[in-house]
Amino acid sequence: MKLQRILTASWKPLAAGALALSTVALAAVQPETGIGLPRDVSLHGHLSDWLTNVTHVFNIILFTIMCVWMGIACFKHGRAHQAEYDLGDDKRSIKIALMLSAVIFVVVDGNLFVNAINDIDNAYWNFDEVDQNPATVRIEVNAHQWAWDGRYAGKDGRFNTEDDVLVWNDFKVPEDTPVYFQLASTDVIHSFYLPNFRAKMDAVPGQVNHMWIQARQGTQGDYDIGCAQHCGTHHYKMKGQLSVLSKDEYQKWLNEASVNGLRAFDATDGAAHWGWDWKKF
Amino acid sequence: MDTSTVARAPHVHPEPTSFVWKYLFSTDHKVIAKQFLWVGLFFLAFGGTLAMMIRWQWAFPGEKVPVLGIFLERAGGMITPATYQSIFTMHGLIMIFWAITPILIGCFGNYTIPLQIGAQDMAFPRLNLMSFWTFVISAVLIVASFFVQLGTAAAGWTTYAPLSTNVGTPGPGQTLVGLAIFVTGVATIMGGINYVTTVIRLRAPGMTWMRMPLSVWGLWLTAVLNVLFVPVLGSAALLLTLDRLFGTQFFVAGAAGVKGGGDPILFQHLFWIFGHPEVYILILPAWGMISDIIPMFSRKPAYWYAGTVWAMVAVTVLSAVVYGHHMFLTGMNPLLGKGFMTFTLIISVPAEVLFLNWLHTMWKGSNRFPTPMLFSVGTVFVFGLGGLTGLYLGTIATDIYLHDTMWVVGHFHLTMAAAAFLGSFAGLYYWFPKMFGRQYNETLGKVHFWGSVTFITLVFTGQLIVGFAGQQRRLYDPYQYTFLQHLLSANRLTSYAAFLLAAFQVPFIYNFLRSVFAGAKAEQNPWEATTIEWTHAASPPPHYNYNPIPTIVRGPHELANPEVKKATGRDWAGQAEELPSGGEQAPQTAVPQGA
Repeated sequence: MKLQRILTASWKPLAAGALALSTVALAAVQPETGIGLPRDVSLHGHLSDWLTNVTHVFNIILFTIMCVWMGIACFKHGRAHQAEYDLGDDKRSIKIALMLSAVIFVVVDGNLFVNAINDIDNAYWNFDEVDQNPATVRIEVNAHQWAWDGRYAGKDGRFNTEDDVLVWNDFKVPEDTPVYFQLASTDVIHSFYLPNFRAKMDAVPGQVNHMWIQARQGTQGDYDIGCAQHCGTHHYKMKGQLSVLSKDEYQKWLNEASVNGLRAFDATDGAAHWGWDWKKF
Repeated sequence: MDTSTVARAPHVHPEPTSFVWKYLFSTDHKVIAKQFLWVGLFFLAFGGTLAMMIRWQWAFPGEKVPVLGIFLERAGGMITPATYQSIFTMHGLIMIFWAITPILIGCFGNYTIPLQIGAQDMAFPRLNLMSFWTFVISAVLIVASFFVQLGTAAAGWTTYAPLSTNVGTPGPGQTLVGLAIFVTGVATIMGGINYVTTVIRLRAPGMTWMRMPLSVWGLWLTAVLNVLFVPVLGSAALLLTLDRLFGTQFFVAGAAGVKGGGDPILFQHLFWIFGHPEVYILILPAWGMISDIIPMFSRKPAYWYAGTVWAMVAVTVLSAVVYGHHMFLTGMNPLLGKGFMTFTLIISVPAEVLFLNWLHTMWKGSNRFPTPMLFSVGTVFVFGLGGLTGLYLGTIATDIYLHDTMWVVGHFHLTMAAAAFLGSFAGLYYWFPKMFGRQYNETLGKVHFWGSVTFITLVFTGQLIVGFAGQQRRLYDPYQYTFLQHLLSANRLTSYAAFLLAAFQVPFIYNFLRSVFAGAKAEQNPWEATTIEWTHAASPPPHYNYNPIPTIVRGPHELANPEVKKATGRDWAGQAEELPSGGEQAPQTAVPQGA
């Protein structure tokens, strides 16, 4: 069949072109310049980046085939071409159509499915190991229009007590250590978004959600926290900062902040006591 | 079974002659279709204007808006953060419920269903009339909401609670919009019941299910989804209105981690149970129409007709069980998330069948490219892009990063906006001679197509690119964020593409208005099409469409058949045409007029 010949012949250059394009896309992953994913500083961000890029390659191949196919039909099988009477409903045609669909489905969707299940079970939503790790840093986040309130447990390791460390839009975490967030909201739905960590989770009034991240070794620096869920007039200004510190610096900061927190504690300030007992999921 | 007699015999009224009964309160499906078209086109322009303001804000944040600034007098001609959120909220709602819905479903549903199945009108013509005027009431509510204190709705088109309750948007504008959604839902359900019944009961003799034109299949499945799922939206809108006006707490929860009161996530469930079928509600009619239009201009039968039908049926069924992918990050149980992910990925199988069938139909055809065909091919092109970019969002691992970014916006605009928009125009140009009895200007139509397809693709690809770089949706000023500052030039280029897209609608507006009133008289069947609205009805069709009702003898796309060529000398045979010799065994009642 002519179509088959064309498809077989164009397979290699197509794949090469798609790979070249995706290499360009990958090369663009620079610290927030050019077009491409923002810099990834997390332990597991590469998993979804890989899955995204591989799917790009598949999609570019599929879309190119579609356009070439349609293009040839448009230019070669024009008005002058004698239309072929083909209802496409004989057994062989149906078999080919179903087989093609099945192959695309198994390869493209199958790859997405298997890897996604792996990634969420073993990395993104695998909270068991994080929960059991004694080094894990725990932070409660209370979102409200239009800021992020943060709470660290302080020395006693318990939340909503007087030595809690309270932060406002300015979070500090140590590198190379799991950071476990629990999120809630006071007013409307917000979404805690860490683009450089490929992490995001909604903060919903009336319920506690959780997410975790880990900054890779040597990624000290300041990273944006965004709100991803439209939350009212100043949604665009609901911006925080997550600073990755070395483990020593982080410990130093936490100790100082804990002392300050104890000093600033005001039992009568109801609004400051929004915390909750760390929730077991 | 001759079901057509049911509609024919007892209820034949003379054609109304006064302006009011002929053009305003008509029960004729063809008139009602045009009414929906005019209102829909008005709101398309309205929603498009709002889109231009959004694009201006992203290209030149906080700067005076040229021309449209006169509507923003109180803010000195600039868009404020509060106005901005009203603009994008109303852009979404107006485009979906007051532009695409009336054009694709109200206009083409009303126009093509009775004509293509050989009915003299809808099953319930008066319900049809009520549906349109109920829709007008909702349109009045939506326009009125712009003039109340604190302005119109501002909680996004998704209207997520608690932002949409008094907690987030206390003004009466949001209440009016909630009511408008409820009322337009009532209109849609009336229309849906009518379409579903008409297709089941009023098909001409011989018009079996598997001989129906694919447009009718698409529109019928859409109507089924509307009847099933719009009531869920209606209930959500009603409960929200109760929360806003009567102090109930269906969707308002306690603060922070405190339980109590209602559940904001319940609103999302109600919204997306409707909302995901809704995206198929808006695309199925376009799929159906281009599945009919492509064969007519490829001069070749639709490839694997039954495959296209069953693929659309499969999408319709699956559309009800995938909605959870909008809610992966709400704290949904991971197991439930995986279930929704599985169904979402499965939906790509019927979509692939559709694409293969369109491509195979064009392959080895005798393709010609008047405007309707160009728009159909354009629809396949943008829907291909839109479908493929959805894969990342149906998969949890990649959705975590892309969720609520401009990637989502680009993806759903390519499917729901670009494909529905180009598909609507494919249908409009295709049936234009039939609807108005006049021919549009082909050159202007082609200018409209090339401008539209080029810039609509650029606009929404631009959105995908900045979304991939992490830009969240709905930001008044994205450049507040350090990691987004370098995207200003990309956003600005995208905005220029959007402005050009708008500019290329001018030839359409001119062409449409001029041709409706002063175009050259159209022939009965200028496309040499095979379905009965072309072969058995004049352009425009008379009151009650067919007399007598034609008897259908074959499928909808009898093209390029050598037997037909031998018998008639033409490369096509109408659905109700009996051939002079041999071939089909046609009942003797059919009287082809257009041959």
